[in-house]
Amino acid sequence: MTNESTNAAERLKLGPREGVTYPVVMKYCGHCSMPIEYCEYYPEYEKCKEWLERNLPDDFERLKIEEEQASADGTDDDKKRQKRGGKGLLRVKKKEDVPKRICVSRAARGKKKSVTVVTGLSTFDIDLKVAAKFFGTKFACGSSVTGDDEIVIQGDVKDELFDVIPDKWAEIDEDVIEDLGDLKR
Amino acid sequence: MFKKFEEKDSISSIQQLKSSVQKGIRAKLLEAYPKLETHIDLILPKKDSYRIAKCHDHIELLLNGTGEQVFFRHRDGPWMPTLRLLHKFPYFVTMQQVDKGAIRFVLSGANVMCPGLTSPGASMTPAEKSTVVAIMAEGKEHALAIGLLTLSTEDILKVNKGIGIETYHFLNDGLWKSKPIK
Repeated sequence: MTNESTNAAERLKLGPREGVTYPVVMKYCGHCSMPIEYCEYYPEYEKCKEWLERNLPDDFERLKIEEEQASADGTDDDKKRQKRGGKGLLRVKKKEDVPKRICVSRAARGKKKSVTVVTGLSTFDIDLKVAAKFFGTKFACGSSVTGDDEIVIQGDVKDELFDVIPDKWAEIDEDVIEDLGDLKR
Repeated sequence: MFKKFEEKDSISSIQQLKSSVQKGIRAKLLEAYPKLETHIDLILPKKDSYRIAKCHDHIELLLNGTGEQVFFRHRDGPWMPTLRLLHKFPYFVTMQQVDKGAIRFVLSGANVMCPGLTSPGASMTPAEKSTVVAIMAEGKEHALAIGLLTLSTEDILKVNKGIGIETYHFLNDGLWKSKPIK
């Protein structure tokens, strides 16, 4: 017991540790975004585990061994410790599953000019501002974020977009880009 | 504090800081966290220009050159590191350890109650009232929340009832989830 408490005191001491280089590189769970050791407190622990198994097999193995040990020792925390309160549980917000799709279309502007409207980029977690800037420099034209999930590129660059977008963002396949044709503004 | 925080709605304006103000903030941080001196250049490089994001409820976020949130504060309160920063440099804030049973409550945003700091699984380092503390957990390596002591650690031991640490920022709250601001 005394050993344990001195350990804790040692752990909580201020000042850089010896033999540790800062900044410490952290491993975060891809599912719940927390440090891996806290995954077990996430309501969707099972999905965290799946993610861990796929992406960090080493840590997953360690976790499994620890868990087995705990159950073998019979030190199940649920029984040992008094439970407090009832409403402390985290609730997960449901992620809305929007189909990942990008739509490009052309809109007329005046008699002989047109703009290209791109929607759906944010379903791929792309920063729209950065994307707009990129299109602007790529096509040497004006490009701006005009709505929640909409970028307007000045000039008709629809056909080029089918090559440019998968080139720039590897996670986007050319097939998910849909051509809506000409739209009226 | 950040339970309902959302990057899009909660940030009202972002400002570039004057270099004199930057210096002021740096000095203040070093004063509050003297242990930071060795690594502050990694967190806030001298040449970099930082920005401040003003948010609702009188919250201000300090952003470094790459747009990462590094510190935040409420009104004129002390600057506190964000958890992502604290995980990288875990040594410069006074640490308090809570027991296992308290973890799930802290993770849903509850304040830390005194019994959670005095039970066998917990451990405290002596500190005065209203110091910024990192909340660690029994058997875990990394901090799970940041808060302010509402009582001195001595009083926590004595009273052993009610709120001991007011939680400001915890894992998976709005600030934790928000991405770097460009």
